[in-house]
Amino acid sequence: MNARKIFIIAMMLGYTNTFADTAIENNSTATSIISSSDVNTTNEINTSIGNTASFEEEFGDVNKTAVFDPFSGYNKFMTNVNDKFYKNIADPIATGYAKILPEKARISVNNLIHHLRFPIRLANNLLQFKIKNSAEETGRFVVNTIFGLGGLFDPAKTDLGWERHDEDLGQTLGFYGLPDGPYIVLPILGSSNLRDTVGLVGDTYISPLYSADADNICYKIPQNTYQDVLIGSVEVINKTSLHLGEYDLIKKDALDLYSFLRDAYTQQRRQKIKE
Amino acid sequence: MKTNKLLKIFLILATISIPSFALRQNEIEPVMHSKIEKVLTVLKKKESNTIRGQEIIRTLDPVFDYALMAKLALSSKTWDSITSAQQKEFTRLFIARLKQSYLDKLDLYNNQKVIYKGVKPYQKGRLQLQTEVIGKDETYKINYNFHNSKNSGNWLIYDVELAGVSIIQTYRQQFAGLLKEKNFDEILIQLREKQPSKAKQS
Repeated sequence: MNARKIFIIAMMLGYTNTFADTAIENNSTATSIISSSDVNTTNEINTSIGNTASFEEEFGDVNKTAVFDPFSGYNKFMTNVNDKFYKNIADPIATGYAKILPEKARISVNNLIHHLRFPIRLANNLLQFKIKNSAEETGRFVVNTIFGLGGLFDPAKTDLGWERHDEDLGQTLGFYGLPDGPYIVLPILGSSNLRDTVGLVGDTYISPLYSADADNICYKIPQNTYQDVLIGSVEVINKTSLHLGEYDLIKKDALDLYSFLRDAYTQQRRQKIKE
Repeated sequence: MKTNKLLKIFLILATISIPSFALRQNEIEPVMHSKIEKVLTVLKKKESNTIRGQEIIRTLDPVFDYALMAKLALSSKTWDSITSAQQKEFTRLFIARLKQSYLDKLDLYNNQKVIYKGVKPYQKGRLQLQTEVIGKDETYKINYNFHNSKNSGNWLIYDVELAGVSIIQTYRQQFAGLLKEKNFDEILIQLREKQPSKAKQS
């Protein structure tokens, strides 16, 4: 749902799957390392051609597995807008914010935001019949409210090992068989699709951090749009401050940023729905 | 004397032909555990990036099936449509890219903990080592997919998934997209161009 999440994932992808060749700085060494592995490589390739059919089955035909993207014109435009927003607004502000507020405090802000989103996670765990996770979420909420200073700390995880079970309405709809629908890039939030956007609207409605229907829902914290924007900004800046520099690495890594973000998002969401 | 000499030659040949590294199925978890921990230890060292990088390469190189990864990243169909010179060049550039991409992320490492969830059966008789990395605000699942390489008889990694995102799958889609706009030589040029500019920045 969150653009940042995709950034993190993309960052970690590079982080985990490949190897440091720090020798690149020193060009001659780097080349020798890479070309020596290349020798084995090419020998092996020519002999292993026969057995890749089963792998092709696993990954699927690139044309058939392509993400449904009828709005690619708009999406590319919005990806650019988000890119400019990140580069010129979110990143500089978050960098300054990170200098003022120590990381521990920013992690606490992050804990608090997740803590307050408890109704979303509980509702969606229940809707997917994840009873054990629902119970654990409720336990987390109680423990962290009392022993975590109202959610600033996460003793439920650190002391009891109760992990957060992130579920949202997009995942719930997917659980009931709703397909992704067309890919949509949302302003600021980034990658999404029709199903997840619908889910986002539903989740926002019950979120304590958004004022929708504040007259009838007693736990709403903001009471008007102005307060919504304020809380939303803190959320975005705080999250960005915990992941500085990651987006730039993805941009450097991706051969084609747009399709990279799109495919990573889609794969990640499908996996989450399966789990 | 003669038999001795023959024996020596035989021993030398045997040593050369035995792969320096052999990973059996039941060794996947302990070996990967020790390798990942070694990488984390190297990252904590106060050495220069060059030295740390070389050490990490030496640690991890033997468990990855680079050749297969390069081919799968491109998709076999495209692979078969290009010349063997192009295949070689692509493989070289792609491997360098994977390594460089990892190098770029070294600085982000911040004492994250890794939890090992064991080796589970995966598609078509392949295996998956499941791990979790505890980040600042979230836990990320990292799965290493192994296949039993017919060439070496070893279990080797052909893909890595993070939070359900497969590195090979994202490359396949990117290359497929690029091939609609460019021919293969232009893609090779793009891969080549990416390398030196990165080196300058690092």
